Amino acid sequence: MTHGDPGPALPEGDNSETPELLLQRVARGDEESFNRLYNLVAARVFGLIRRVLRDPAQAEEVTQEVLVEIWRTAARYDPGRGSATAWIFTMAHRRAVDRVRSEQAGADRARRVAMASVEREYDEVADAAATRLEQERVRACLGGLTALQREAITLAYYQGHTYREVAQLLDAGLPTVKTRMRDGLIRLRDCLGVGQ
Amino acid sequence: MNTDIHGLAGAYALHALTDIERAAFDRHLADCETCALEVRELRETAARIGEASFSVPPPRLRQQVLAEIRQTRQVGPGRPERRAPAELVRWRRLTTVAAAAAIFAAAVGGVSFLLGEQRVREQRAVAEAARADAVAAQAEASRMAAILNAPDAVLRGRNAPAGGHVSVVYSPSHNTGVAMLDKLPAPPPGHTYQLWVMGDQPVSAGVVPDGLTSFRHTVTGLRGANALGVTVEPAGGSVSPNMDTAITLGL
Repeated sequence: MTHGDPGPALPEGDNSETPELLLQRVARGDEESFNRLYNLVAARVFGLIRRVLRDPAQAEEVTQEVLVEIWRTAARYDPGRGSATAWIFTMAHRRAVDRVRSEQAGADRARRVAMASVEREYDEVADAAATRLEQERVRACLGGLTALQREAITLAYYQGHTYREVAQLLDAGLPTVKTRMRDGLIRLRDCLGVGQ
Repeated sequence: MNTDIHGLAGAYALHALTDIERAAFDRHLADCETCALEVRELRETAARIGEASFSVPPPRLRQQVLAEIRQTRQVGPGRPERRAPAELVRWRRLTTVAAAAAIFAAAVGGVSFLLGEQRVREQRAVAEAARADAVAAQAEASRMAAILNAPDAVLRGRNAPAGGHVSVVYSPSHNTGVAMLDKLPAPPPGHTYQLWVMGDQPVSAGVVPDGLTSFRHTVTGLRGANALGVTVEPAGGSVSPNMDTAITLGL
């Protein structure tokens, strides 16, 4: 199998061992590389899932599932199809959202929606300077969006809402929300320099 | 190009489509190279938003994950069946980036779609029971972090007789501990695990939500107590502990 263009690498601090490299070794059953990959991504995966799910115990469960899934399916990752972090965080986010959606029937759902705060900032324990910088950058780029773009994206991404739910929450039309999600992400993409 | 469905690229990258819409968009992606490239970039962008959340997981997570991978067989590099090999070759020739992006999206989408469906079924019962109040959970998380990081925190733990592990991280200066139940066997039907602060008079420290066999909970008022206890009680909890079932952790 030939790999295509590995695509733009995401900044990974000063680590010479890229997630791509580690993931390829993990695919061959290298537990030590998995351990290193854990060091690189676990806090961010846990942070993302916790942010979506809010419940630390549930977030821990889902994080464990995602990390084991990375181990199990590492061979399916192909650098030609995107960065390793996108592969990992797409999987993590999808799992978190699945968990949120599986609770939609519950009464808690309504309460959670009511309390959903678009701009809620969490007091995360951050001890990596690179991550802080990245956070600031993402925050700054989010700040550059229109309010509707930002709310549409954060409600979907951090709260796990479908775009239909987002439309209801924002009292906006479906086509508008759909469009704001897309043009908002495109603006973020350009601001963050993805794909350049 | 179907411009209406193409407009869903943002929602797709944010996982904000229902499963049905998502499947429709996946089909659309297979025929739309522009969309595939766009989706790849939007996914990368979404991942960047995701990466910006940072929270150190409890150290035991690493041990649990490492233990589990040792028992987990890895899959081979085969791709999901969605795409025929001939089509794949053609795509690669067309434009490497666009084609690769489409396959990437389909592979990730396909795998996570299937897993997601299964997960939803498996975990609905657990997850619905486990839903904690959002604000309380957040406050709880901050309290836990403070205890776990306290300089005077001590750890007490033991294996439960019927399997699983019970431990507490106790900070005398906070007068609070974090009780941690890990993979206990499910309590008998109609029963629940309950936490106790053991002193002269045992005081309930809360009931473990139904369906949860791993659980973390802050327990206050530990100063002067002898131990933290976990018992099996009738659903809803009891006013005094059933000591026959007690697992105690001396403080």
